[in-house]
Amino acid sequence: MDFRLTADQSALMQAIDKLAGQFEAKPTEFRGFALSAAELERELEDGQYFDIARVPELGPLGAAMAVERLARLPCTAEIALSMLVRPRLAGDWPRPLALIENGRPGRFVASARTLLVLEGESVSVFEPATDEVQPVESLFAYPMGRLKRSIDAKPLPAAEAANVRHWLRVALAAEISGLLQAAVASAVEHLTLRKQFGRPLGTFQALRHRMAECAVLAGGVRWLALKAADSADRGDAALAAMHAIESATRVCYDVHQMLGAMGMTLEHPLHLWTYRMKALISELGGRGGHARAVAQDCFSAAPWEA
Amino acid sequence: MHFAWDQEQQSFRARVREFLAAHLPGDWEAQAHGPGSGSQSVFSKKFCGKLAEAGLLVPHWPRRWGGREAGAWTAFILAEEMWEAGEPRGGQYMNVNWIGPTLMRFGSEEQQAHYIPPMARGETIWCQGFSEPEAGSDLASLRTRAEKHGASYRINGQKIWTSYAGHADTCFLLARTAPGRDGISVFLVPMSTPGIIVREIPSLIGEGDIHEVFWDNVQVPESALLGREGQAWDIARTALSLERVGIPRFALATKMLHRAVSMLERSGRFGCGAIEQAARARAACEAARFYSYSIVDQRQHGIATGPEASAARFATVMAERLVSEFVVEHVPEALSGAEAMMLAHHQRGIVAGIASGAAEIQLNLIASELLRLPREPR
Repeated sequence: MDFRLTADQSALMQAIDKLAGQFEAKPTEFRGFALSAAELERELEDGQYFDIARVPELGPLGAAMAVERLARLPCTAEIALSMLVRPRLAGDWPRPLALIENGRPGRFVASARTLLVLEGESVSVFEPATDEVQPVESLFAYPMGRLKRSIDAKPLPAAEAANVRHWLRVALAAEISGLLQAAVASAVEHLTLRKQFGRPLGTFQALRHRMAECAVLAGGVRWLALKAADSADRGDAALAAMHAIESATRVCYDVHQMLGAMGMTLEHPLHLWTYRMKALISELGGRGGHARAVAQDCFSAAPWEA
Repeated sequence: MHFAWDQEQQSFRARVREFLAAHLPGDWEAQAHGPGSGSQSVFSKKFCGKLAEAGLLVPHWPRRWGGREAGAWTAFILAEEMWEAGEPRGGQYMNVNWIGPTLMRFGSEEQQAHYIPPMARGETIWCQGFSEPEAGSDLASLRTRAEKHGASYRINGQKIWTSYAGHADTCFLLARTAPGRDGISVFLVPMSTPGIIVREIPSLIGEGDIHEVFWDNVQVPESALLGREGQAWDIARTALSLERVGIPRFALATKMLHRAVSMLERSGRFGCGAIEQAARARAACEAARFYSYSIVDQRQHGIATGPEASAARFATVMAERLVSEFVVEHVPEALSGAEAMMLAHHQRGIVAGIASGAAEIQLNLIASELLRLPREPR
C-alpha cells in the first residue's frame, strides 16, 4: 500500500488538470438545469483519455482519478461509464454510454450510442437507433433522455451482468466523489464570503461543524472509490457506492441549507453538482440495491479471513 | 498510488496473527472486559513481555530503544491486529504509540534511560494526567499547579477521567507552572509518590478504566520536568497527533459488525432494514480504515500530518457509532451478557468520540484548517 502518486499517475493528473482548467467556470449567462460540455468531450476523445483504463501503467485507478477530477467541473459529459465500464464490456461498443434502469429516463440516453439496460436482475447492451431515444426535460443536472419504446435485447450471461453492475458502481462512486468535493468547496466559498449578523457565516459553529462533517464524508467516498477502482473487488465497489450515495444524500441537503436562497437559483452553480448527485443516488437500486450488494459480497467472508 | 499490501506487510500481519493465536488464552474473548481492569493489567504485563521477546512490541521504534525502525505501516498493522483481538496490550498501547516516541523526542538522557527500556520490555503501565474537573476540551484552562521550591516542584490539584490510573506506574502529567496558555508544563511522576490519591470512577465503559487522581503536595525533583517549563502545549500536540490515528477502532468495529450479521443470519433475522443499516455501517468502517491508512502513509513517508488526521478520527468515530447502534438495535442481547466481546466493543466505543479530544474539537480543526473557513470570534 502506497498512496503517493506514481510518475504516470502524476503526469495523467497534470494533463487532466490542465484540460479541466479550461472548463472551471460556469458561463455567466447560463441559467439551465444541465450544462453540457461537448468541447470537453471532444478534447477527451482526441486525447484518447477514454481509454485510460486500458493503459497498464494507469488502469482503472487512473481512470477513476480522472473521472473524479472531471466531475468537479460545473459542466458535464458522459465520462464515467466510458472510462470505467466500457473497457469491461465484451466487444467494442461505441461511446457515449448510458444506463436505463427499469424503463426510467437516464443520463445521456438521448445521445448515447450504447445503452445498458437494467431490468430487475438482467442486464442487456445494445446500440439504439437515433429515433429510438429522445431527450427529456428534467431538474437533474445531466442531459436526461428516455427510450421511446421497449427493446427486446438479449440479456447478458449472469457473470457478465454482475461484472457490468460491479463497474457501474465504481463509476458511480468515482463520479459522486468529485461532485461531493465540488459541492463542499462551493458551500465553503459562500460561507466565507457571505456575512450575516456582522460576520461571515463560516464563523458560526453550527454551520462549521456541518461543513466539517460533509468534508469528512467526501474524503471517505474518495478513498473508497479509488480503492474499488484499484482492487477490482466486487465488495469494494459495493461499499464505495453505498458510502457515496449515503454521503451524497446528506451533503446535498446540507450544502443547500448553507447556501440559503442563493442555492435555489440557477444563477449559482451549486445545483450543477447537487442535482447530478441526486440523479446518481437512485441508480442501481439506490440504497437498497447497494446494501444488498454489500450483504452479498462483503458479509459472506470476513475481511481478516480474505 | 496502489492499495495492495506488499509481501512484507502481509508477512508481518500473518506473524502477528500467529502470535496472537499462540499466546491468547482459549477463553480470551469470554473474559473480555475493560482494558484498565486489574486482571487485564496483570495479563498485559505478561503478554507485552512476550511480545517484546518476539520483537513485536515496538518494531517501529529506533534500534537504540529496542525497535528495528520498521516504519509507520508496521506499527499500524500491529495496532489493527491488537485492537481487533480486543487489545491484549491493555493500557500499554499508549506507551508504544505515543508516550515512548514523545519521550524520545523531548526527554532528557536520564529520563529516556529510566523510562523507555521498561516500556520496550512491556513491563510498565502509564496514565495520562490531562483532563481536570474544569478543563476537558478546554485543556488550556487547567488548574493543577506545580510550584518550584528549590530543586523540586510541589504539585497540587486534581485530575479526572484518568484512564489506567489505578494500575499505572507513572503519570504523564500536565500541570501549571505559570499563568496562561504558555504556562503549562509536563511532568513524569511515579504514581507511588506520596500525596497521590487515586479513586476509581464507576463507569459504563468497564471496570478500572477511569479515575479521579488527587495531587496533594506531591513533591517531585526538577528532573521530573519533561522538556522546558511551559513546553506542554508543543509536547501535548505531538502526543495527540500520534494518538489521533492511534487506535484502529474500525478494525474491531468491523469484526463485531460481521459477528452481529452472522448471528442475525443464523436466526433468520437479517432482513431488509438490517441489511441497509449493516451495509451503511460496513461502508463507514471501510471509509474510516482508508482515511486512517492515508495518515499512516503520510507518516511512513515523513510527511507531517495535518488536519486530515482529525478527519480520519471523525470518520472513525462515526463508524464506531454506526456499528454500536446496529448492535443495540438488532443484537441487544449482546449488552446483556450474551456476547462478552460485543459488550466490550460497545463499552470501548462509548469513549470513541470523547477520549484524546472530543469529536467536536476535531470538527473545529477540520473547519479551520482543512476547509479554511473563517475562525469563530473569541
